[in-house]
Amino acid sequence: MTVPTPTLAVRVLRMPKRLRGRGIVFASLAVLAVVTLAAILAPWVAPYDPDAVDFTAFYAPPSPAHWLGTDSLGRDLLSRIVWGGRTALLGPLLVVTFSTALGILLGLVAGWRGGWIDAVLGRVFDVLFAFPSLLIAMMAVALFGKGLVAPVIAMSISYAPFVARLTRSLVAAERTRPYVAAYRVQGFGGAWIALRRVLPNIAPIVGAQSTLNFGYVLAELAGLSFLGLGVQPPTADWGAMINEAQGGIAAGQFLPAIAPAVVVVLVVVAVNIVGEDLSDRIGGEIPA
Amino acid sequence: MTVTSALRDPSALDAPSALLEIRDLTLDLSDGTRLLHGITLSVAPGETVGLVGESGSGKSLTARTVLGLTPDRAHIGGSVSVDGRSPLSPAALRAIRRSDAAMVFQDPRAGINTMRTIGDHLTEALRLNEGWSRGRARARAAELLADVRLPSPAEHLDQHPHELSGGMLQRVMIAGALTTAPRLLVCDEPTTALDVTTQAEIVQVLRELCADRGMGMLFITHDLNLAGSLCDRLVVMKDGAVVEEGPALEVLRDPQAEYTKRLVAATPRLSGEDGAVGSGAAGDGPMVQVAGVSKTYRVRGRGEVRAVVGADLEIPAGGALAVVGESGSGKSTLARMIVGLEQTDTGAIRIGGRDTSAVPKGREQRLARAKSVQMVFQDPYLSLDPRIPARQAVSDVLQLHAGLDRAAAGARAMELLAAVGLGEEHAVARPKTLSGGQRQRVAIARALAIEPDLLVMDEATSALDVSVQAQVLDLVAEIRRAQGLTLLFISHDLAVVRRVCEQTVVMRRGEIVEHGATAEILSAPQHPYTRLLLDSVPVPA
Repeated sequence: MTVPTPTLAVRVLRMPKRLRGRGIVFASLAVLAVVTLAAILAPWVAPYDPDAVDFTAFYAPPSPAHWLGTDSLGRDLLSRIVWGGRTALLGPLLVVTFSTALGILLGLVAGWRGGWIDAVLGRVFDVLFAFPSLLIAMMAVALFGKGLVAPVIAMSISYAPFVARLTRSLVAAERTRPYVAAYRVQGFGGAWIALRRVLPNIAPIVGAQSTLNFGYVLAELAGLSFLGLGVQPPTADWGAMINEAQGGIAAGQFLPAIAPAVVVVLVVVAVNIVGEDLSDRIGGEIPA
Repeated sequence: MTVTSALRDPSALDAPSALLEIRDLTLDLSDGTRLLHGITLSVAPGETVGLVGESGSGKSLTARTVLGLTPDRAHIGGSVSVDGRSPLSPAALRAIRRSDAAMVFQDPRAGINTMRTIGDHLTEALRLNEGWSRGRARARAAELLADVRLPSPAEHLDQHPHELSGGMLQRVMIAGALTTAPRLLVCDEPTTALDVTTQAEIVQVLRELCADRGMGMLFITHDLNLAGSLCDRLVVMKDGAVVEEGPALEVLRDPQAEYTKRLVAATPRLSGEDGAVGSGAAGDGPMVQVAGVSKTYRVRGRGEVRAVVGADLEIPAGGALAVVGESGSGKSTLARMIVGLEQTDTGAIRIGGRDTSAVPKGREQRLARAKSVQMVFQDPYLSLDPRIPARQAVSDVLQLHAGLDRAAAGARAMELLAAVGLGEEHAVARPKTLSGGQRQRVAIARALAIEPDLLVMDEATSALDVSVQAQVLDLVAEIRRAQGLTLLFISHDLAVVRRVCEQTVVMRRGEIVEHGATAEILSAPQHPYTRLLLDSVPVPA
């Protein structure tokens, strides 16, 4: 009997998941840290004013002066990407915060109380799931006007059911566990048990889901800006930058469109990897 | 010793032709942890060897290597030989699994495909491995089901697993293991998930099968009494090493190793000097009165299930009453109604003179209810909040009930934890890092923090190892002596009940069938069901 020498792929698969994922998770965290810090410190780290027009340098190629070159108005691309991170990251941050708060509240009520409240909220979530979040955001823009505010509110509402449904199922499972019965027997009230004991126990899992949501929202808000419905020119924003750079593609100038697109992809992938890693880690901690 | 073993087991004389031979077996995980430290044991044809030990002793791991079921990436040393073939070599393993050895696992429901019929399960191996025709394989499957004493075997072939009870399904699994006519049967706690009367039937089936077929059996169990009643020889394991080996009765009557002595001493028995007596504090009328309590569940597809029917019982202040019964007897439902986790349909429950049948409304009533009755749950792994350290679990309760401030509650919690034998290092530990026994001590300390009129323990020691169980039972006895606690003790185990409670109630299918002093029930049972229960408890013979 011969034991075949494992191929590289087999050896990678046999590696403990922890080791396999470590490097790429660190890389993702590094990407997110750099992008976040750059956005926060934009006034100091950006080499140029993002809106400074330089009529002598349309579509300048990458050079020591302009690391990523310039766009159709001669604005420094790197500076615009650094500044654009502010709106591009702030939008998803707000959406994730609001949708998590709203989702946890509704999910907790549905899962803990059960009965007709659960049934009604469940149907409401189903209806919300039926509409793509981008569609709801576009409707909000149509009603309340362009900019960041209307889409953020609309997306917060359309992402809340994802959090709510997860919270509901976790809470409903947790509610039947003996430790909750033990709290009841000891005389603790339902609200105290739900808010002070059950919620903290499920919070890490919900948090991991919300982290994943951050990536999706970022891509969708960038898409909205690309469609011209989100952040408005001349404000630097990754989605809006891709939109503005459309004209240049026909002229063979790809960099102004590709550079912000690559950043969007990098950040979304990094957020997803970190989110997956978080839920993997936390998943192992959930008591059976 | 050699003389008796040879007499008891003639086949041990020609030991060289052992059916199963494990020599110096070691097992290391990929991270270098050594789980087995040189196990040596053998099973002769027709011999039944019991592999006993507590959880974590490595007994299952040892048995599973016989069929090549080792952890991923484990490094295995030493040798294992089944009828001359080694399961450690991939080529021989298939032959061993196909014809030489078979295994029966603890939970029959986890090991069978729920979507397929019993007939599919039993005939698959014959049709695929032996190339038998459908009809012939079916006939053989029916024979096998008859061999494991299943009534009307032909009908069961077309049933699905969910239509069979746990005991019937375990017989099906045994029949499945026998399809290939193995010479060695490895049983890993095959009756642990079953009721004691069912266990007695399964053990009888296994005993007959081994005798009829001259089959060798390696029987893994944590229950010394069961091992003693079934096995010829015992191998006692602890922490991945064999600590003692010898003829079953000798090991149980005259254990040599220190660990075996402790294990034998900790194992509850149905007779002996260590029975429970009244705490002496009794008097002052009944602390608990349960009168005509009933509960019926409506289960979709099965109509009404009468969980508890007209239960009456009384516990004097400072007394201890046991409720004994098998699964489905309604003993847990009764306990949950008494602590208020379920509502009664009819009847009244009075604890300390107060009617506790109504749902408590508002904070005042909730606290009063909690003060009258507390509960220690079955599984200490699930009944503690995974995030809350031991001291906080106790001090939360104190802050709620005694209105103590944080510091005072923390200090009092430490006293209570110390009283159940836990120290400073356990106080800050989360449940995950505590052992089963330590967790149950935390649960007991937490329940006693409220100083309840009645403490209900629902199978509170059944998830624990015997030595830990003995410690917890001693602790409960001590608390009863010291504090005059009134106790309601729910259990399936008559031997455990005997150590804790002076009064016992036997339940069956929701009804109380017998009620009396524990000693009398054990020595002179009146109801046929009580007799059946007692006869089913394995006794080394």
